[in-house]
Amino acid sequence: MNTGLNRTRWEPYVWLLPSLLLISIFVVFPILIVFKLSFSEISKAGVIGGFVGFDNYVEAVHLPAFKTVMLNTLWWVLSVVLLSTLLGFIIAMVLNQKFRGRKIARSILVFPWATSLVIQASVWNYIIKYEYGNLNNVLLNLGIIQQAINWRSSYQIEFVWECWVGIFVTVPFVTFCVLSGLQSIDDSLYEAAIVDGAGFWDKLRHVTLPMVRPSLTVSTVLNIIYVFNSFPIVYTMTKGAPAHKTDTMITYLYMLSFYERKKGPATALSVIGFLILCLCAGIYMVSVMRKEEQL
Amino acid sequence: MRFPEVKQQNRKMLILFLAGLILTLILMSLPLYSFDVGVFTKKSANTFVGDEKYQTVREEVEGVAEEYRAQGFDVEIQENVLERVNSKGKTTSLITFTVNQRYSKNLFSFLGKGFPSSTVLAAILGLMALALILEAAGLAGTDDLLPRYLDKRTARLRSAAVAALILALLLVPVFILMNNVIFFRKLSLYSAGLITEGKEAFYAKLDNFFFDGQMGENAEEVFSGLKINTSPMLWLMAATLFIALAAAISLRHGEIKSSLLRGALYVFVVIVCLITLYPYYVMTITAFRSNAETLDMYFLHMAPTKWLWSNLTDIVQRGVPRYLLNSLFVAGGATALAMLCGIPAAYAMARMNFVGKKAFLGFVIMSQMFSPVVLLIGISQLMNTLHLNNTLWGLMLINAAFNQAFAIWLLRGTFVSISSEMEQAALIDGCGTVGALMKVLLPMAAPGIVTALIFVFINAWNEYTIATILISTAQNRPITVGITQFSSFNMIEWQYMFAASLLATIPVVILFMSIEKHLTAGLTSGGVKG
Amino acid sequence: MKKKLFALFLIVALMLCMVPAAFAADDEITLDVIICQYGPNTNDWFLGTGMDGSNFVDKFEAANPGIKLNLDVVSWNDVYTEVDTRVANDNAPDILNIDVFANYATEGLLMPVKDYCPDDLFEDFFPNFIEQSNIDGTIWAVPDLASMRALWYNADILEEVGVEPPTTWSELEDACQAILDYYDGEIYPWGIDMTTDEGQAAFAYYTFNNGGGFIDENGDWAVNSEENAEAIDFALGLVEDGFTNPNPATQTRYDLQDMLAAGKLAMMIGPNNMPTYVSDKGGEINLGYVSIPCADGKTASGVGVMDRVMAFKDDSAPDQEARNAAIAAFLKFFYDPENYVGWVSMEGFLPAVNSSVAALIESDASFEGWLNMLDTFHTYPSSKAEWDQCKQGVIAAEQNALTGADIQAELDALQAELVG
Repeated sequence: MNTGLNRTRWEPYVWLLPSLLLISIFVVFPILIVFKLSFSEISKAGVIGGFVGFDNYVEAVHLPAFKTVMLNTLWWVLSVVLLSTLLGFIIAMVLNQKFRGRKIARSILVFPWATSLVIQASVWNYIIKYEYGNLNNVLLNLGIIQQAINWRSSYQIEFVWECWVGIFVTVPFVTFCVLSGLQSIDDSLYEAAIVDGAGFWDKLRHVTLPMVRPSLTVSTVLNIIYVFNSFPIVYTMTKGAPAHKTDTMITYLYMLSFYERKKGPATALSVIGFLILCLCAGIYMVSVMRKEEQL
Repeated sequence: MRFPEVKQQNRKMLILFLAGLILTLILMSLPLYSFDVGVFTKKSANTFVGDEKYQTVREEVEGVAEEYRAQGFDVEIQENVLERVNSKGKTTSLITFTVNQRYSKNLFSFLGKGFPSSTVLAAILGLMALALILEAAGLAGTDDLLPRYLDKRTARLRSAAVAALILALLLVPVFILMNNVIFFRKLSLYSAGLITEGKEAFYAKLDNFFFDGQMGENAEEVFSGLKINTSPMLWLMAATLFIALAAAISLRHGEIKSSLLRGALYVFVVIVCLITLYPYYVMTITAFRSNAETLDMYFLHMAPTKWLWSNLTDIVQRGVPRYLLNSLFVAGGATALAMLCGIPAAYAMARMNFVGKKAFLGFVIMSQMFSPVVLLIGISQLMNTLHLNNTLWGLMLINAAFNQAFAIWLLRGTFVSISSEMEQAALIDGCGTVGALMKVLLPMAAPGIVTALIFVFINAWNEYTIATILISTAQNRPITVGITQFSSFNMIEWQYMFAASLLATIPVVILFMSIEKHLTAGLTSGGVKG
Repeated sequence: MKKKLFALFLIVALMLCMVPAAFAADDEITLDVIICQYGPNTNDWFLGTGMDGSNFVDKFEAANPGIKLNLDVVSWNDVYTEVDTRVANDNAPDILNIDVFANYATEGLLMPVKDYCPDDLFEDFFPNFIEQSNIDGTIWAVPDLASMRALWYNADILEEVGVEPPTTWSELEDACQAILDYYDGEIYPWGIDMTTDEGQAAFAYYTFNNGGGFIDENGDWAVNSEENAEAIDFALGLVEDGFTNPNPATQTRYDLQDMLAAGKLAMMIGPNNMPTYVSDKGGEINLGYVSIPCADGKTASGVGVMDRVMAFKDDSAPDQEARNAAIAAFLKFFYDPENYVGWVSMEGFLPAVNSSVAALIESDASFEGWLNMLDTFHTYPSSKAEWDQCKQGVIAAEQNALTGADIQAELDALQAELVG
């Protein structure tokens, strides 16, 4: 999409330079260090030693909790991303209707997005305490329950709570992405569909979904990255207890590095995580390219 | 205009309306509540059914029951056995005997007894009567018109009837829940001695309700074992009221299906908003509680008994304003820097063709793949080399860099969505590329830019992990790190933590709310065309 | 134009950051100090106005011209991360206050205490404390404070139920059963904390009092001894019987202390500063304490915890002697009874030096009983290099056992990992 005016060949690169510099220095350089570390020996206190080949990777894969943690991570990413996409989609469909108070509702919905994850996780941690948590307090005082409920009676349930907080903070982003997609839909498309005798589901399948798909793809891919890399929720709520059964990969490698002091395998794990995410990025790139060809 | 079939239909609806109201009244006169008044309770630990201790206690309890029967009460003995096997295989058992008197109550017997639920019930009845009157007034002489031809006054009357019925319907669950609170929670709190305020008046009301005030001083002991049983039939009352409501809506709007859909939409939105606001409610009330009240182990208060504004001054003394300023500086600077670098890059990506465009895109996205948590060592090493350790500048640069990807993605989409004709005209007019960008493109791309701006700001404001490592003196802490001092090794001071959280959250929320209407527009241009 | 502006901006920004470094005068020594946050007032005492309107750093710098303190108070949540990251970057602090030291010492990062600690101060430390930092004859760190653990109970509850404070395990079980029955589960009889934060303490409470422990009498790892498995089984039995708080894997000692303060918990094992904690939390209960109960027929053993202060090597310092002298000045100032007594009593811990004992007892007579208990002081084998691993290992073993795993098998695996 050249504007057709004369530009020297190097001009685009000058425009890119500041951004390129910023990213290279402050993001790529630390990444390279992590790559290097994953092949180095690192002592318990953190002193960096020489090259050890793939030893760290072998050790990482053979850690007793490795399988649990990978499964947890899969569940964590799948449940949080899928459910928040579904919920966000529904909420966006509703908020796209015209009704009184829509503005207020939209403003309220951005709240979780604007709150720090550490704060959000601490609040929910307080809410679901059995002995003095606010959820029991509210439900008891409203008469909905008659006895305090132990909201975290097993680690499986605690993991579900962590997923819930993850969903809670992710939904607004999806909602607003989908809303932006919905607003770009011309009403004439719906009118045409109605003339063709389409019902609610037909309209959803043939008009809404195709038009919203680009926004959904973008938000989903970004969410996969953010959710995979999310640290404060699990760390604040359970620290992976009991025995890493509620850890995701990011919190596990943090615990591994700073609590168990197995720093070598921890860095190896972070590179493994990076490779997994690169796969997702590949999918994203392919979708972007395909779209660009369409335009 | 007269529509005979409308008249017929309206008559059907009116009958339905009246039937709903009458059914509700009938349900209310049924004994929907039953109470077990435990006039005597005896707990016996390490007692097994049939053993010697059991026999002794049982005899004692039966003696008490006899005494009550002699006084003319119809009591029965209930026995609750709680058996546990401990890890050594030893069985323990706790038996609780209660001498119960069962009372059945219909809803009308709650009226005028001075409970909060009595007032609610009176309000429900009043609203039902009001709806009936309004509906009758609204029907007079106009029942053969289509709803859209109704004159203004009639339409208003019928709307008011609908509103009254909605209110009455909403009050039904309030009534049910309120009874649970009164006859279960409040009672157990009073009898356990956890609250004392208004105790005598409370027991006098109970006494009046069950025994017409005969129990007098014994009330406290008698009611300590009170158990409330709510019949599920009670919810039928809501259903019958709903029939009346549906009929009233149909009389007002003609089309019941779309009205109900609209109602469902409101219900959904309200529920979503309540859930969203819930943590903020918790944050707010906890922030103003006293240290002891944050550990409200008997769930006595839904709001602070005393709003402690001194919590705010306490955290101000402990450095929070300084942390907020630091955060403002870091987030503001990071935003400015991210925009300064991001806008040219996005512009180049949107308007120019060059070798390596896709590679750059890939590079930008890749920079998002690592969580800051795993880059801690690398970042800290870098900061050492640059002598930026423990400086706000370092934090600012890092935040700007980590938000480049999102800023570029969003801005590029925005720029692509804006036609380049205007810029070309500006270029021909003799503006340089920079001039065209500044004067033409940027104003047009405002929504996208504002969105990107806020995004970066919020991410930088909320960043926690890198800041803990990079900042090593108190005067340089941003607020997210500053908050952790309230959850020290020795004690979590929930009230201070949430007060500080509140101060950290409010500015961002206000900022976010103020651009909410640009947000979708910005994301539209950025995301969809991305 | 834009890009030039940006380049200029970047340069200015970078230069601004260099300014503080450039201003540092040559003859001044700056010490990087990391202090752990023990309580709500730690930060205020070191950096704010908690020391009679002034603070430790200001007072120190006034008393020692030529030495500047770059002191940070770090929460226990973040301190390991911060220290490890700095070590990895060759940027270790000069003085560090933390609980562990063995890894730093064996990897050659620390200076031996005798290199910087003045003799009179060294003589002042309690000998059995200083011995805890001994690896093969070299002392690598000095103690900064200690705390003794004991069984704390809510005297009102015990009196109401009619049980005596338990001293043996079977008495403990009976008391728990009585409290559980009496309050129908409304009040937890016993608190257990097996969290990732401090699960190793639970291990110590039960194994030490069953003749077991982390190491055997030769000082070798012995985490899988029969006594240990039996002790943890006993503790797990208490959980199974419903005597304890319901979520021992995530309810920290502070959660338990909160419950004790609110009257929701009848008994728990906690540190000697419990009364301060309870009154800070607004608790209005009658507290009492007895020593930790032991297995029937075994001898009771006190459990204590001790933290340390250590100095890191810095080969890049221009004048090593001046640096050592500055560290010595810091220690002397810190342990000066005038400052130290205020700090220890503020945090509610036990002192580590003789010179402050008299003044402390004068300020609060209850210290005396605790100081006498120090004779039974047993603590973690933190001078062993594998201690971190052992600590996380026993915590994982406990947590796995809580979810149904066999404790003996878990401990066997840990032992194999520690020895092998």
